[in-house]
Amino acid sequence: MFKTLINKITTNISRGFHTSPCLNEVRLLTRLRVVDNSEIGKRAMAEGKPPKIICVYNKRRVGMIGDRVLVAIKGQKKKGILVGLKQTQKVKVPKFDSNNVVLIDDSGTPLGTRIHVPIPTILRTILKEKTHAKGADYTKLLGIATRFV
Amino acid sequence: MSLVYRKSVDLLTVAKWIMRREIRSLSSLPEKAEEKDVAVEEKRHIGRRPRPQNPMLEYRNVYPEFLPDPNPNWRNSLREKLERVDMLKRRNQINIPEFYVGSILAVTISDPHAQGKTNRFVGICIERKGCGLRAEFTLRNVVDHQGVEVRYELYDPTIQTIQVLRLEKRLDDKLYYLRDALPQYSTFPFDMDPEILPEGTPVPINPVQVELKPRPWLERWERQELKGISNIEEYLKEKDRVRRELRKTPWEKYDLMKQYRKTIPIEEQNEIWGEVYNQLQQMKTSKKKITRKRVMSAPKSQLG
Amino acid sequence: MATSNLLLLCNSFNKLSVSNVVKRCCHYRPPRYRPPYWFMPKERVVSEDMLTQENRDFLAEVKQDKHNFQHSLESPLTNVDTPQTTEWTQSTRRVGVIARKIGNYPLWTKDGKKFQTTLLQVSDNHVIKYIPPDEFNPMKSKKMKKEPWKEKRTLGCLLVGAESIDPSTVTKDYCGMFTKVGMLPKRHLCRFMVSPNAQLPTGTPLYATHFRVGDCVDIRAKTIDRGFQGVMKRWGFKGMPASHGVTKTHRRPGNIGGGGEKARVWPGTKMPGHMGNSWRIIRGVKILRINPEHNVLWMLGVAIPGETGAMCYLYDTVLPLKKLKTPPPFPTQLNSLEIPQEYYDDCIHQFEQPTITFEES
Repeated sequence: MFKTLINKITTNISRGFHTSPCLNEVRLLTRLRVVDNSEIGKRAMAEGKPPKIICVYNKRRVGMIGDRVLVAIKGQKKKGILVGLKQTQKVKVPKFDSNNVVLIDDSGTPLGTRIHVPIPTILRTILKEKTHAKGADYTKLLGIATRFV
Repeated sequence: MSLVYRKSVDLLTVAKWIMRREIRSLSSLPEKAEEKDVAVEEKRHIGRRPRPQNPMLEYRNVYPEFLPDPNPNWRNSLREKLERVDMLKRRNQINIPEFYVGSILAVTISDPHAQGKTNRFVGICIERKGCGLRAEFTLRNVVDHQGVEVRYELYDPTIQTIQVLRLEKRLDDKLYYLRDALPQYSTFPFDMDPEILPEGTPVPINPVQVELKPRPWLERWERQELKGISNIEEYLKEKDRVRRELRKTPWEKYDLMKQYRKTIPIEEQNEIWGEVYNQLQQMKTSKKKITRKRVMSAPKSQLG
Repeated sequence: MATSNLLLLCNSFNKLSVSNVVKRCCHYRPPRYRPPYWFMPKERVVSEDMLTQENRDFLAEVKQDKHNFQHSLESPLTNVDTPQTTEWTQSTRRVGVIARKIGNYPLWTKDGKKFQTTLLQVSDNHVIKYIPPDEFNPMKSKKMKKEPWKEKRTLGCLLVGAESIDPSTVTKDYCGMFTKVGMLPKRHLCRFMVSPNAQLPTGTPLYATHFRVGDCVDIRAKTIDRGFQGVMKRWGFKGMPASHGVTKTHRRPGNIGGGGEKARVWPGTKMPGHMGNSWRIIRGVKILRINPEHNVLWMLGVAIPGETGAMCYLYDTVLPLKKLKTPPPFPTQLNSLEIPQEYYDDCIHQFEQPTITFEES
């Protein structure tokens, strides 16, 4: 049996599977981690059913830091903002070990009252740029952050 | 004809390089095996005096980014020279200390996005790569139970200070496995005090072995012959062990041509270090003076 | 005896080589070398001259003397102490320079952004010859049936050479072009179309300070030679899936033509073939920094064609929005002036300046 196994492997070696590192992109159906203390988010994380992305609101449909996403969480549709990514980032922008999201409602007000992980400082500029005078005000999110890196 | 000639010249240089390598057992930057041998030897004969070595060649560990990329397609002596001049100019402005993969650093940058326009990050250096002005390093820390990694460029003019909090080496050259290790191995407080090594001591090697989390992992750590992992065997299946054996490349350490292509010959290194040695030495001495002054002035402030 | 017979046999076989007898007609033609109009055969077969060591030394000495003399010559422009009668206008065309690509490394701006730059070294450039507009009669290709130079007859041609070489390594014909005007032969030659008032006397050296920081230039160079490549690399086709029943067509182009009345392959269809080694012009590249000591230019971006060590030709840009606004050094810059160590663009952070800090707004 062992022999057959070895034979199998040796024949498979040249064919193989590609071993290049994955890009860790945030796109449709990616599981995220809710990092605020909103009720729905806390329960979803505790039950082991983290939210899934069902839409990324940008042209490329791949989420970057500060992008708005639509997530499916506990049978509901909620909007959120990406506040930390696993993907390789630019120089001086932190890269996190998980893909973090903060839930917001349509007007940009966060559902929770506190974010319990650090948040990249570049988010400050990005969210300010995304906020328009009459549209949603995303900068409220910065108010509930506890720590910036 | 010319091709044959060039090939023969190439062969000659390789032959020379091999000869030299056998005579003195030191060459250049990516040769881990030799350095480890040296380290083992040192451990064996602790009582003996250290061997007298070319002081310039020690610099290849301290300032690895001064050696250019060995790829012959990208080499050009004038560009390398200009690059070195620029690096020294930047080093005159800020003190870029000696550090290694495994050292704990605190980096302060001026950040237009942050509130006080400065941003400080503390973490363990998990990789160091690139040469010349492109040199960069990555810091890793666990902040509020969340792993964070930040990449910095060594010669970026927005870096205000680089402070070494703990100068040490680890057992491996790249510490990517800290991403899959338990969080306590990469947690460092932001208010850590710098530990000052007494002068003249060699850089200590921290023999800590980390514990990995159960699978899934980001990479196949079992195939990379890492020394800094303690509990990898318990997560491996029979299949992994067999594949590890099959994937091993024990002949690579005898591949002299491969090593030659990866390294810069000693003659060229001597030239490079001869060019920058004096300036680096001056910077070192001036730095020492400043630190002494600080040590003298520090207790006063505490008393006051 | 036997060996001589063998040699004879070999020679006779060589004459019977297959390429002489059969000429295969194939559609693919490798890129041809199209010589410029000043073309003279340059490469020389170096023969063993049975010289004694003393004679060799003497020859080397003569070469060195010649070289030194050439370099000690002053620029002919310095003797002309009367100011230029003609002024630079928007429509005048200046001469360009020949430069060598020596690598790239990053520079930072004053607001902390990183720019990748390409370093170009202007290496030993001299003006060889000026041909006035009415004498200039370039080779006409078959494609240009009408008089292509009719409207361009107002421009003269300036021949510029770079990098002096040992005259004994090149042919007599090639050497003759230079000895006629009293120069040492150059390795690289290029012609630039210039306005008659921008003409330069023979032997004028050209430096990197011919351009200024902040100006834009066009760069003409040869792209990296990649050889015969498939459609995926050459044209960026997608190829076909790796699995799902696909056999033997993972990197092939697929369909190349339609059926019916158009049942043929249309001209210009993207197909496999030779990639690279063609002349390309990148227009409007900004100069960020100049080092007059080593004659090095730092250009913004890494898109300059060719590998490290390739030659490229720089001249003032023709893009209407990026054209020079203020008069540049005209007709060229003399290096004898007192000049600073380095020129930097306004946006570039100099490495000897202190660390960048941002202020609260």
